[in-house]
Amino acid sequence: MIWTLAWKNIWRNKKRSLVVIFAVTLGIISGMFLIGFVEGWSRQRLHDAIYNEVSHLQIHNSEYPGNEETDLTVINPVRLVLHIDSLKELRSWAKRTRIVAMANTPWGNTGLTLFGIDPEREKLLTEIHDRIVPGGGRYIDSGNPSGILISDKTADLLRLKHYILTDSVMEELRHEKIPVSVLERINQLRNVRFRSLKDFREGLMPLLTGKETARYGFLISGKALNYRLRNRVQVTISDIDGNPVQGIFRVCGVFKTANTGFDQSAAFVNAAELARQYGSGEIPVHEIAILLNDIDDADMVKNTLNAVAGGNSVMTWKELAPEAALMNEFMFAYYLVFIGIIMLALAFGIINTMLMAVLERTKELGMLMAIGMNRRRIFTMIMLETIFLTFVGAAAGTVAGLALIAVLGKTGIHLGSWREGFEAIGFAATVYPFVTPAFIVFTVIMVTVTAVISSIWPARKALKLNPVEALRTE
Amino acid sequence: MKVLELKNVNKIYNSSEIKVHAVNNVTLDFEEAEFAAIVGPSGSGKTTLLNLIGGLDMPSSGEIIVGGTILSELKPSQLIDFRLHNIGFVFQSFNLIPVLTARENVELIMVLQKWPENKRNLRTIELLNAVGLGDRLNSRPARLSGGEQQRVAVARALASKPKFVLADEPTANLDSKSAATLLEIMVNLNREENVTFIFSTHDPRVVKMARRIIILEDGKIVSDEKQCQ
Repeated sequence: MIWTLAWKNIWRNKKRSLVVIFAVTLGIISGMFLIGFVEGWSRQRLHDAIYNEVSHLQIHNSEYPGNEETDLTVINPVRLVLHIDSLKELRSWAKRTRIVAMANTPWGNTGLTLFGIDPEREKLLTEIHDRIVPGGGRYIDSGNPSGILISDKTADLLRLKHYILTDSVMEELRHEKIPVSVLERINQLRNVRFRSLKDFREGLMPLLTGKETARYGFLISGKALNYRLRNRVQVTISDIDGNPVQGIFRVCGVFKTANTGFDQSAAFVNAAELARQYGSGEIPVHEIAILLNDIDDADMVKNTLNAVAGGNSVMTWKELAPEAALMNEFMFAYYLVFIGIIMLALAFGIINTMLMAVLERTKELGMLMAIGMNRRRIFTMIMLETIFLTFVGAAAGTVAGLALIAVLGKTGIHLGSWREGFEAIGFAATVYPFVTPAFIVFTVIMVTVTAVISSIWPARKALKLNPVEALRTE
Repeated sequence: MKVLELKNVNKIYNSSEIKVHAVNNVTLDFEEAEFAAIVGPSGSGKTTLLNLIGGLDMPSSGEIIVGGTILSELKPSQLIDFRLHNIGFVFQSFNLIPVLTARENVELIMVLQKWPENKRNLRTIELLNAVGLGDRLNSRPARLSGGEQQRVAVARALASKPKFVLADEPTANLDSKSAATLLEIMVNLNREENVTFIFSTHDPRVVKMARRIIILEDGKIVSDEKQCQ
């Protein structure tokens, strides 16, 4: 009956209780949203780092990480691969050649790292093959030795992008429900080739209002974008003797990840072709990237491989992408601080409400003490009232917060105007919030602790009542 | 058989300047099934005496013995438990729990005493029938009249089969008809349940029904008479 009484007591003053419940609900929703947002961001960054950039582990010549010279190749890679293949935690691995190069086209040039890869093995290791942009050709394949896969950013720097409103683009835009009046005006630019996005936008601006540019500009420029696929890219590298050599590759595809820094520095070619240009009889291996079934095994596998690494060094993703590791490790501290602040604010509200509830019921509490309700039961009753009040709000907040996260987890939160800034530091501009079951358990624990702590003061206040004096109050 | 004894009980309140002798050397005893009224003017010490008898307050000197137990020798936690099992209370302003029904208000004492549910149900219905509220079991106090609320309070006081019931001005907030009904019910219960009732009152109707009248003035007993009904 103490439970029933405590439950009924919180509904004595419905309005006041509902305000507290609403505050708890709102606190949990906002906490869940903020944590979900940062968790989603952190997970995306970690995912991108692992599946596009560094994998779970990499093996290099032990001198290579601090001094990326071409002759510092992995020592005895064949023997190492035998060990790697015997790992039960292994998902896949790939050997890579890495050579710093200068890429040129008649219109632009840029420095980058050429990755000589085995395309089929690489597909099992990274998701770059899934990141080919629309209209950006296809992934590099073994049957096309001169193909080069470059990023959208590199295409930009090499001026391999142009913008043109062809008939088919105009037809596509019509299907996107762009108003006819807008289409009629931009029709003036039909079949005019623009060499950069800036030029294209400048061409559009006199034709569209500011509002129309803001609303349709991104879509129009996206559809008008055209890559110069199969265009020649001249690549200059130092050969095995240190002499500069030029090679010609043709653009087979354009990819884009959420990390502009990585995109700007990486281009992929067939390892055998790169080795040929480098002048090496066999493919030089600068890096062996390893993907495991479980990220948590990385440290253990590192220790295993270190034992057989010889003059090579084994590095985990935490060493290779320290910013992603740091963010991942800081998540718990971040949870603690955020939820801590929310719970502290809620605790004051709950204490205030419960103190008022105790003061209003002084006479009744005096009566309960007089008829024989002991201190433990009085304390339990007040504590249960506080816990019920908090838990109703917490349950509502958790359900609403999870629903919000579920919806936003599918639609994503688009940070459109900050896109370039975020991608420059490796973070996706569309965030898919996510909360882990551990976070929900953590929140439930924090809510319980807050409710119990918040109940102590009002409950102690009730215990200090003298029944004779309490019965005299009106 | 004696259910309650007071031996040279004094209660002195010491404020900063004045000393108030609220109960002055009171010696009394009560037998089983008495129906006694403590009367006296305001400030005569009636409520203080009832608080002392009920173990809600401790005497400055003297002894209060209930069924062989000296109240002042009990620890506070033991005293609460003692009240729960031995003393019933009826308050002037009813003091029912507004969020509980009549049935739940009566049952509460038995829940605290950990009675089994079936026994609790039987006792609750028996008592609420006895006070004429068998058809209002599930009504909350706000839906009951003042007289009905006080009848629920009487049922609650008797729920745990106490040694005696202390009633502090039980009819003070009732109209004459409700007060008469309540008194009639208490007289019947006093006989049927064989429980001692001790009232503090100003109400001549209560005094008229009492079989023993104790008159208190300035904390002293000036008269203690039994009367035939």
